[in-house]
Amino acid sequence: MEREEILSAIYHCVKCKLCSISSFHPNEEWLPLCPSGQFYGYQAFYAPGRLEIFREILEGELSEPSDGLLKAAYACTLCGACYEKCKQITSVEIRLPELFEELRRELVKKGWILDAHKNIVEKIKETRNAYGEKVEYRAKSVYGADVLYFIGCTARYRVPEIADAMLQIFDKLGIKYQVMDEEWCCGSVLLRTGQIEAAKELMEHNIEAIKRSGANIVVFTCPGCLNTIEKNYPDMGVELVHSTQFLTRLGNMEVKKLDMKVAYHDPCHLGRDLGIYDAPRAVLKGVVDITEMKREREQAWCCGSGGGVKSAFDDFALWSAGERIKEAREAGVEVLVSACPFCKRNLREAGEKEGMKVYDVVELVNKGLEG
Amino acid sequence: MKLKQSKFIKELQAIVGEENATDDRAICASYSRDQHWHFVPAKNPACVVRPANKEEVREVLMLANKEKIPVIPYSTGINVRGLTIPVYDGSILLDLSRMNRILEINPEMKTATVEPGVTFGMLLEKTKKYKLRPAFPDAPLTVSVLVNYYLRGIYQTAAADGHDHVLSYEMVLPNGEIIKTGSRALSQMPYFRYGVGPDFTGLFCAHPGTCGVVTELTAKLYRLYDNRKVYFVGFDNVSTPTKFIYNLMNDELAASIRLVDSQSWLKGICGTFDYPYEKLPKFVLCILVEGLNGIFEAKDKLVVGYIKESGGKVLDFPEDFKRTFEEESLGGAEKSCMVFGLRGNYHCIGLYGPLTLAAKYYELHEKTALEVGIPKDHVHFYLDPIYSFHGQLCYVELDIFYDGSELRFGEKLRNYNEKQFQRLLDLGIYGWFRPYAGIIEPTVARIGYLAEVWKKFLEVLDPNGIMNRGKLF
Repeated sequence: MEREEILSAIYHCVKCKLCSISSFHPNEEWLPLCPSGQFYGYQAFYAPGRLEIFREILEGELSEPSDGLLKAAYACTLCGACYEKCKQITSVEIRLPELFEELRRELVKKGWILDAHKNIVEKIKETRNAYGEKVEYRAKSVYGADVLYFIGCTARYRVPEIADAMLQIFDKLGIKYQVMDEEWCCGSVLLRTGQIEAAKELMEHNIEAIKRSGANIVVFTCPGCLNTIEKNYPDMGVELVHSTQFLTRLGNMEVKKLDMKVAYHDPCHLGRDLGIYDAPRAVLKGVVDITEMKREREQAWCCGSGGGVKSAFDDFALWSAGERIKEAREAGVEVLVSACPFCKRNLREAGEKEGMKVYDVVELVNKGLEG
Repeated sequence: MKLKQSKFIKELQAIVGEENATDDRAICASYSRDQHWHFVPAKNPACVVRPANKEEVREVLMLANKEKIPVIPYSTGINVRGLTIPVYDGSILLDLSRMNRILEINPEMKTATVEPGVTFGMLLEKTKKYKLRPAFPDAPLTVSVLVNYYLRGIYQTAAADGHDHVLSYEMVLPNGEIIKTGSRALSQMPYFRYGVGPDFTGLFCAHPGTCGVVTELTAKLYRLYDNRKVYFVGFDNVSTPTKFIYNLMNDELAASIRLVDSQSWLKGICGTFDYPYEKLPKFVLCILVEGLNGIFEAKDKLVVGYIKESGGKVLDFPEDFKRTFEEESLGGAEKSCMVFGLRGNYHCIGLYGPLTLAAKYYELHEKTALEVGIPKDHVHFYLDPIYSFHGQLCYVELDIFYDGSELRFGEKLRNYNEKQFQRLLDLGIYGWFRPYAGIIEPTVARIGYLAEVWKKFLEVLDPNGIMNRGKLF
């Protein structure tokens, strides 16, 4: 975005702060929507205050990377809930998550980067994955198969049960698939933390690898990877689909219904970024009974993991996930299901003490198929 | 009034905890500006302090008073008109958002006692189970109940609520003394405004700034009725519906009566931009009738009769428009705030005046706006009458919706204000809704000895001038 475009957007915010709560009417319930504002409290952590910080940076009034500046800029999950709410009440587009990414790019240009985020770059340089893991996640692969499964760093190295489940689903359904021998990090975490240059090599590698695979459909269990490849990569002439979209297309999979009542948590990248709300619900309905939580779809409360927050502000990330666990509990369930490895990892960590079980949609589908 | 920064911030942190006081430049920058920046330029406070209770507020104020450092109280962060933008260098911004407890809801007394961080949304969520609600301002329901009532205790989205919603409160003065007003001073029953001697509750309200920090306030709650009916009646001008409005007000028939511009406020009241508003009459009177069985039907019948003789056109709007109007009037403004987003910013002069002058206020609004080069389609208006209708009391809002990113438009707005304040004072008003930038000087010049008394009153309360007095004295 050009400087003038950014300032124009900033000057359009009238500071009503309705972006900090979910739609109040008609249920008349006060439900916060902005995790960073709710956790840190200072105005700097709500969208209107963060915009003022950005303005002062662009206008040259803020010239030092204070702790507060770095925290206000980076302790935001870029969940986009503020933008969704703002859209409801204004005819002027203020694309808040994009602006906050721009803010980070501006800081990176000045060298104002968090150590935690610099470390990710180093890990990726060394291992090509965001966690610096040297052990490969191994999966069998059918060379030339039409379906390519892009696993992603988190499902490979932190919640491999998601990747395992997806691969087993392919096998059980008799779908031939391939995985990339050299799948590099998609670059999402770098792009979201403003480190665009560092992401370029990864993108180039993955583009070549995907093209070389000859696959026509790329399936993702990670909405972060899907969102990045769809929006930040050039068109590669292949179809990009989330696992739940892929499964929905298969029609009746003859899964056994599990005796389980669950709440579904909308991942930010899948829902607010890509507009995919119905496919995960449709797939889940075939396997379990779903109870909706109070904040859902466009106004879902973020799990707290995205935008580089988990790596840099784990206390905040876990608090945000804890709030979601409480909401699931209030909805009367003991199982929370998401469709994103980031969400699963963070929600599971926060839910352990609370006795809340957390799954990805594909894990439950896989269980249902076992029956 | 220069802070010895590092020592002072440590003293503040000792009071409120390390994480609740900061002089971080970026954190301070986030409080530097509101939507009124064409008039009140950005200015950063020197530090931000977030107390958790009145004891901490008291200690912060005493420290600031000793050091003669200005204090800007700030509640939930939805600020307009530059009211919480520091005037002086080195100011403390006192962010009261952590003080967000609803201390009591008393359905028998029909009252609520709240701290400054409680929003209208938070309060309604708790009162609705008793079929009660607060009186709502036409401001986002994210704003503070306490501050809005303290700032100006008159609100109008439900005409039936009338004015003076405040019963009593507790206020910390700069010297650390605590004042309790009304019956609150005498007992644990804070439910009567005129408890002890003069009306101190009113005396501290509605200054163009603050006299101290109000840490808790008891306000009236109002009934919610199940029986409701909504009407929208179109008019081509402001004067035709005034007789109709007078009849509704004189007979006390409707809970909410709002004459709004169909090209702006009506969109918010109906909750959508997606409707052919351009085909509607220029003004629409929105009427909400409610009440108990029997009373409701009788009122409704009379309202229908008045509609027939009003000279207006009854508009057949979709049901969800009606529901949104009910929600926005009796449940707090959310979608109404869509008007802020018509072009990305808004300017308004809100004032109190008699219904008899409504058409002239509008005429003057349009005339002045056009004179300073503001396009006609940017000029908007609304009027809400207020019970009891003594003095034919109305809240009138002269609005200009403009592109917030068009920096040069600010010059037009400043020219508009300069002319319009004088013209409105010449025409006759009861008072201003807010201490808009530049409004105090021409107003104070007209109020005679009252200005001297007012000044002395503030000097007694706040001899070091640390409280945010707005632009007054």
